[in-house]
Amino acid sequence: MLRRILIFWCLTCFLCTSLSLAADVNNSKIAGDDFDAAFGDEFNNNKPPRKLIADPLEPINRGVFWVNDKLYFYLFKPVAKGYRLVIPRPARVSVSNVFSNLATPIRAGNALLQLKYRDFGTEIYRFVINTTFGIGGLFDPAESVAGVKPRIEDFGQTLGYYGAGHGFYLVLPVVGPSSLRDGMGSFVDSFADPFRYADLETEEYLWVKLLDATNRLSLDRDTYEGIVRDSIDPYLFIRTAYAQRRLAQVGENTYNINLFQGPLFDSDLLNPLDWFGY
Amino acid sequence: MKKRLLAGLLILLFSVPSFALPEPQAQVETMVNSVLSVMQSTEMSPEEKKLQISGRVQKFLNVESMSRRTLGAYWDGATEEQREHFSQLFVRVLEGTYLSRIEDYSDGAVQYLKQRVKEDKAIIDTVIVSKELEIPVQYKMIYTDGSWQVFDLVIEGVSLVRNYRESYGEIIRRDGYDGLFALMEEKVGVIEKKQTIQ
Repeated sequence: MLRRILIFWCLTCFLCTSLSLAADVNNSKIAGDDFDAAFGDEFNNNKPPRKLIADPLEPINRGVFWVNDKLYFYLFKPVAKGYRLVIPRPARVSVSNVFSNLATPIRAGNALLQLKYRDFGTEIYRFVINTTFGIGGLFDPAESVAGVKPRIEDFGQTLGYYGAGHGFYLVLPVVGPSSLRDGMGSFVDSFADPFRYADLETEEYLWVKLLDATNRLSLDRDTYEGIVRDSIDPYLFIRTAYAQRRLAQVGENTYNINLFQGPLFDSDLLNPLDWFGY
Repeated sequence: MKKRLLAGLLILLFSVPSFALPEPQAQVETMVNSVLSVMQSTEMSPEEKKLQISGRVQKFLNVESMSRRTLGAYWDGATEEQREHFSQLFVRVLEGTYLSRIEDYSDGAVQYLKQRVKEDKAIIDTVIVSKELEIPVQYKMIYTDGSWQVFDLVIEGVSLVRNYRESYGEIIRRDGYDGLFALMEEKVGVIEKKQTIQ
């Protein structure tokens, strides 16, 4: 009897172990190559860390950074604070939705250039839903109801997707952190900006851009203030954060979780591109 | 008798691995939940909350590993004393930075997306959802001393350790270890002073 129990125990334990081992194998299979890449050079302490972005113009960049810092604290932020007092939050969110909706050509176009058909479909879907049900883009039912998020794409990312590096880091006046690649990207993207073709005077165009920027700043939670307060050298902090973030954007986006998984539109049938197997 | 002994040995041999590694994601959940419970409590004063959170989080952080990775190659060149000094300062810098900002996300909920484990390393993908903001946060963990510990946070693709490493490396190159420590001490002083005023 005792013997039987012992054998039973042995078998159970053996089974459990092999199962857990099998689970381990599965886990590492899922992990794949990007797992190692994610840890990357952090486990290799002997090598000097690879620079994320070249910065040969650092003295000039620091100068522009200093000017931008003053502009931020003494001009843009006070304006945004006044604007925040006058315009209630829901209205500001709507303004931001409208600008975002109008910028669809930039995102959709770049998704197409990168042959990301699914993201292209997502953008078209969002544009149609938000322009109709969202009353000209004032609201964002595509996300709030259907849970379909915008796919942030720009020409800088498209260049990166095809292997182009940053070149070097650039701090642009007023605009802030950029690089040779991303700066050129923004220039190219501006041709896909509907405001460019809206028959506006240069001055009116600038006012529109100013409204966009002020509105965005009014919705921000003092991100820049936090960085300035907490980091020893805000310039270096922002440069690294910018380079890392762009790297993540160019790379495969792993956070695309609830694409077409919203409660109402819980079906891939709503994306016409799925009909063709994309 | 001999057989029984053998069986007993077999049991020991086989049963060890099945409970050796607890789930890293469970560890992160425990940490996040304990922090959230402190933040949402109504009895504690803000200072008490900060103290509580800092104590609870530190249990799950691998400070040595974080410091080592932050200094990178400079860790090897540092003396034991310098390493110790750096670790202490670094913890205070992190506390000052994140405790002041954590309030903003007290209404947030955390979704756990994916857990990837390979040997003694793990990556946990989560998303913090708060108002209309969604912030992807990735925890990088390592298995040491019988538990999973966090050694890096990747927020929206930006690795905390990597960001600090780049800045600190540049400062050490320019001003040496003592220069970095002086700057860190100054910053910590400013942050902590501000927090007591608030």
